[in-house]
Amino acid sequence: MEQSVGKMASGSTNPATEAPAKLELRNISKWFGPVGDGVHAVDDCSIEVKKGEFIVVVGPSGCGKSTLMTVGAGLENPTQGEVLVDGKPAGSPGPTRSVVFQKFALFPSETVEQNIKFGLQMTGVSAAEQEARLVEQLKIMGLELFRKSYPSELSGGMQQRVAIARALVMQPEILLMDEPFGALDAQTRTILQEEVQRLHREKHYTVLFITHSVEEAVYLGDRVVVMTKRPGRIKRVIDLPRDVIWKTGDIELAAEHPEFIEFRREIWGLVREEIVSI
Amino acid sequence: MGVLTDRGKATAYGIFSLSVLLTLWICATSLFQWIEPRVLPSPAQVIRQFAWIITEPFSGLRLPGHILFSLERWGWGVLTAGLVGIPVGVFFAWNPWFKTFLNPVFELIHFIPPFAYIPLAVLWFGASTATQAMVVFVAAFPAIVINSQLGVAQVEKIYVDAARVFGASPFRTLCRVVLPAAAPSIYTGLRIAISNGWMALVGAELVVGKVGLGFMIAQGQENASVATIFVGVITIGCLGVLIDTLVQRSERYVLPWRRVAG
Ligand SMILES: Nc1ncnc2c1ncn2[C@@H]1O[C@H](COP(=O)(O)OP(=O)(O)O)[C@@H](O)[C@H]1O
Ligand SMILES: [Mg+2]
Repeated sequence: MEQSVGKMASGSTNPATEAPAKLELRNISKWFGPVGDGVHAVDDCSIEVKKGEFIVVVGPSGCGKSTLMTVGAGLENPTQGEVLVDGKPAGSPGPTRSVVFQKFALFPSETVEQNIKFGLQMTGVSAAEQEARLVEQLKIMGLELFRKSYPSELSGGMQQRVAIARALVMQPEILLMDEPFGALDAQTRTILQEEVQRLHREKHYTVLFITHSVEEAVYLGDRVVVMTKRPGRIKRVIDLPRDVIWKTGDIELAAEHPEFIEFRREIWGLVREEIVSI
Repeated sequence: MGVLTDRGKATAYGIFSLSVLLTLWICATSLFQWIEPRVLPSPAQVIRQFAWIITEPFSGLRLPGHILFSLERWGWGVLTAGLVGIPVGVFFAWNPWFKTFLNPVFELIHFIPPFAYIPLAVLWFGASTATQAMVVFVAAFPAIVINSQLGVAQVEKIYVDAARVFGASPFRTLCRVVLPAAAPSIYTGLRIAISNGWMALVGAELVVGKVGLGFMIAQGQENASVATIFVGVITIGCLGVLIDTLVQRSERYVLPWRRVAG
């Protein structure tokens, strides 16, 4: 069965003649501290995210997933390799690449409204446009009642909704999400996973999504990139079927589908090898 | 036990301990005369002296006049310490080079007691408001710098990263993200500075000047009037508590998000 999955993956690979990827991480290596002596976090990772694609990176904790994302966002420079947007060097961070951080990173001194408007104000969007986009995002994320609340007044799930709204309001070309649901309780996580799935189906965001949850990866991803343990390399890339019925519904239902179970088993096997090997 | 809140309890204990002190004082003086009035005046004497200094000029000024002069010097000293100290502290943390460069100077200054500056201040400014204000400044400055620096250094990198991702320039990141996050620590610095400054002020007034609460105490000594000294000391203590309380209370209005953080 694992073989047949492999075949499916290679069958759906895009021909190389297409337009450049929306976001490309090309041969990224990252050392913290001196090369050869510091921490080797990421080793020669290449990932392409095509327009409208939802790529999920999974790997054991500490393998360099967050590092890969901060490099992808432009927050850290890679020791080697380059980050390209539409085939051109991506440069410093900016609103084309919005980020949702694992620990939300909402500004504690600002209300929900101010947090969501932050990026719009920094990039000189008109006040009327700011307001319109804010209202739209509050509606999408179900935050209308919390407009004037401070983050510390909200539950973890609500805070992460704000963080997602703050990223989406920028109408980013690329959305980077680093274990966005890792700090949430199981119920809240399930609901947000389903909302992100729905958002992606409706709006076709281009997403690089990081998680340590295999289930989340199979449910959300168009493609799953499995990383090795540190220094993180790319162990395997697995294409998932896109327009299958189980991705349109609840995650509980999806998790009962034989195809889902098979992918989960295969990917978990790969991740597990990395966790147990020394 | 459960009737009072923690705050209520603290207030109750405060009132209790002050009452005990007052009772002891009354016993020691008016009631049993354990201690001579020349050494320790009775509460009645002190109150009479209060009334007298409030209504009759003492060394040219009534009590409110002395208070205003003291507050003015203290205010200038603390204000300049804040205006200079907060940016210095922030830039110490924001720019490592700045810190490396200026820190040795700062360390040195930090260990010179404020009163050591009095002779210098007198030579520079004569017996003017600026002299005492400078001593207040010197006493207040280090706490502001150190706490501002700590506050900024403790801001988690993830907030700065988030600001960068959403397009904020370094300056706007500083103003909108870093400073608010550092504000509680800056506030702590201000509180310490305010009380340090207040103490240094009274010290400076004992030595230089012809007005102010410290000067009043010094005059009490000169005239062998213990009651006058008591009036001065009690006024200084009460004003100190009052100022600190006001500053503490203002924090919830200046930093509204802290109110809900609990
Ligand atoms: N700023 C940093 N300085 C030094 N080491 C770091 C830094 N950031 C991450 N690391 C190290 O790099 C490795 C990968 O970290 P990370 O990318 O956060 O892993 P993951 O997100 O997969 O759990 C870890 O060993 C971590 O300790
Ligand atoms: Mg991580």
